[in-house]
Amino acid sequence: MKTISYTISYLLPLFYLAVVILYYRIFTGTIRTHPNKTTPFLVGLLIIHILELAIRTFSLSTMPLSSIHDSFSFLALSILFVYIIIELSLNNRASGLFILSFAFILEVISTFYLTWEKETSELLTNPYFAIHASMSVMGYTALSLSAIYALMYIIQNRNLKKKKMGLLYSQLPALSYLEKMSIRSVVIGIILLGLGIMHGHIQSNRVFGTYFPMDPKVLLSDAIWLFYFFGYLLSRIMKWRGRWMANLALSGFFVLLIVSGLVMFFMESFHRFF
Amino acid sequence: MTDYIPLGYFGISHKTASVEIRDQAALSPDEQRFALSQWIKTFGIDGALIVSTCNRTEIYVSGENYAVALPEIRQWLNDYKQCSYFTDEQITTTQSGYTAVNHFFNVISGMDSQILGEPQITGQIKEAYNLARDIGAADTQINKLYDFGMRAQKMVRTHTFLSEGAVSVSFAGVELARKIFNKFENKSVLLIGAGETAELAAIHFKDKGIPNIRIVNRTESRAKALAEKFDGKAYPLSGLNEALDDVDIVISATSSKEYILTTEILNPVCKKRNYEPIFIIDLAMPRDIDPEVENIDGVFLYNLDNLNGIVQANLEKRKKEIPKAQEIIDESIAEFKKWMMSHSMASVIGRIKKHFDSIRQKELDRLRNKLPNNGMEEIEYLTQSIMNKVMHQHIKMLKKSSSDLEKYQEQVELFFELYEVDGEAD
Repeated sequence: MKTISYTISYLLPLFYLAVVILYYRIFTGTIRTHPNKTTPFLVGLLIIHILELAIRTFSLSTMPLSSIHDSFSFLALSILFVYIIIELSLNNRASGLFILSFAFILEVISTFYLTWEKETSELLTNPYFAIHASMSVMGYTALSLSAIYALMYIIQNRNLKKKKMGLLYSQLPALSYLEKMSIRSVVIGIILLGLGIMHGHIQSNRVFGTYFPMDPKVLLSDAIWLFYFFGYLLSRIMKWRGRWMANLALSGFFVLLIVSGLVMFFMESFHRFF
Repeated sequence: MTDYIPLGYFGISHKTASVEIRDQAALSPDEQRFALSQWIKTFGIDGALIVSTCNRTEIYVSGENYAVALPEIRQWLNDYKQCSYFTDEQITTTQSGYTAVNHFFNVISGMDSQILGEPQITGQIKEAYNLARDIGAADTQINKLYDFGMRAQKMVRTHTFLSEGAVSVSFAGVELARKIFNKFENKSVLLIGAGETAELAAIHFKDKGIPNIRIVNRTESRAKALAEKFDGKAYPLSGLNEALDDVDIVISATSSKEYILTTEILNPVCKKRNYEPIFIIDLAMPRDIDPEVENIDGVFLYNLDNLNGIVQANLEKRKKEIPKAQEIIDESIAEFKKWMMSHSMASVIGRIKKHFDSIRQKELDRLRNKLPNNGMEEIEYLTQSIMNKVMHQHIKMLKKSSSDLEKYQEQVELFFELYEVDGEAD
């Protein structure tokens, strides 16, 4: 099992890269034929990735979020999954290059941290916490997507303002679409992350008898959620639109990335499983 | 394999003749019906196709007699249209065989169009073909020419960027609007000025589904007339502020010497709509819109030069696709040639005849040793005559089915199977 899992793990970044190249070729117009037939490649990649995850989960008797490898890999998978839904529902492949490149980077990072150690923490073998972790990761995925859409909005807005009718202009979707997708992703992120955090609090109180109010990662998650929640609420009240909203989503995400990085690597936390 | 195909064409196009000549040379659908039926009856041709648009009038003729028939048809057209254009070598082009096929494939793909890659020509040829087919003027050659031509144009349009991007100022405006607003259903357009330019742009936006059109004009009666046309609302110039309320696209094309729309007017409008995108097209010369408005958040201002720049860039992009498109056309011609070699009537008849003749020769060789020499000539004559009669029946059947491509193909396959003739040409 270990050999199979390792082989797939090392191959996955290459598969992600292949998909990114495919979308790059669609983006640049190198592929003029069958640009609408990319979904089977994505679904194939999704299946392979789920297989790798399933092998690790059953072989190591843990949920796929306990190590850096598993966390990043799961995040890449959830981005891929959400992107497939977006592509199928909106039949627009223009954002594929941006979103899938992000998933590819995460998958590459995860491969550098590949290990094969059986899980010893009781917490991480508890299926209730798996629900909490998966929901939280899905929430972060939605927030990441929101930032990617916001970035695309800023680029397209700039193209239109400066009259730069190049490749990026022609391949990126309409401003209103990007704005809608960014806001929708924020809303989904707030809901999923909110449910994930709530579930985590309830479970930790049930199992450990405490909410871990001073745990940096708990505090950070709560702060991020509150930031996005009130940011969104404020934008609705103030009727912030377009570029304002895009800058907010993008800067929010950068703050999230930097602070999370600092907390994850430099501060002690009961959440530190690796 | 031979490169022969009994097909030729002559025509007048935008490349050779002025619009006045093209106008006079054009044939209406009724005229086309009449001409085609006359030519089939009179000039001993198997099939013909007339492609008559505002940019070209081209006649494609097929059948063994096509080379003789072409000059006769040209003269017929001169007489019919009471002109001398069709025999004027200066303004007509004549081609035959696969050069004519190449031309047809170029035309149907938009490669020969005045605006490179325009898709309208494909629909026009489709109509011309349907007309020819309906009156029985489309024989196997014409059927297959159209069939392969359609395939070639589809390949060209899907494998290249020959038909991509707006190539008119109005469409460039619509295309830009699509990059700002994903959908047009709930959007509104404001026309400042009720002249032809603004009207043309409004037609394009209306066609794309924008329901709400407002018109502001110095002469209110003119605004009202245009508003009626678009089922919109008219405003006098003094009502500009009111008309701007909640509008998404502004098209301005007046002859005003001063700016009509300035930052002072637009700033409060944008603030009120929370800086939601507003797309402004300034088609006037001198300009109607103060360039400063572009600094307002959410305002996208494009003038005539900007739009012309987009059109030119798109045309350049299309031009770069010509070699790729020609490659596809060459491949399609090769396929067409292959099909013609194996399925053209002359080829099919020749191969069946060869088959019968080889049987005849074998039987004659067997008899030759048994019969006295002086009787052989009569026998040879007799067997030849029988063979010709049998062949005549086959030719009759093939000719009868030649207007229906599917039926013709079925019949050819049946003959090939029956006489164990190889589908590939010699």
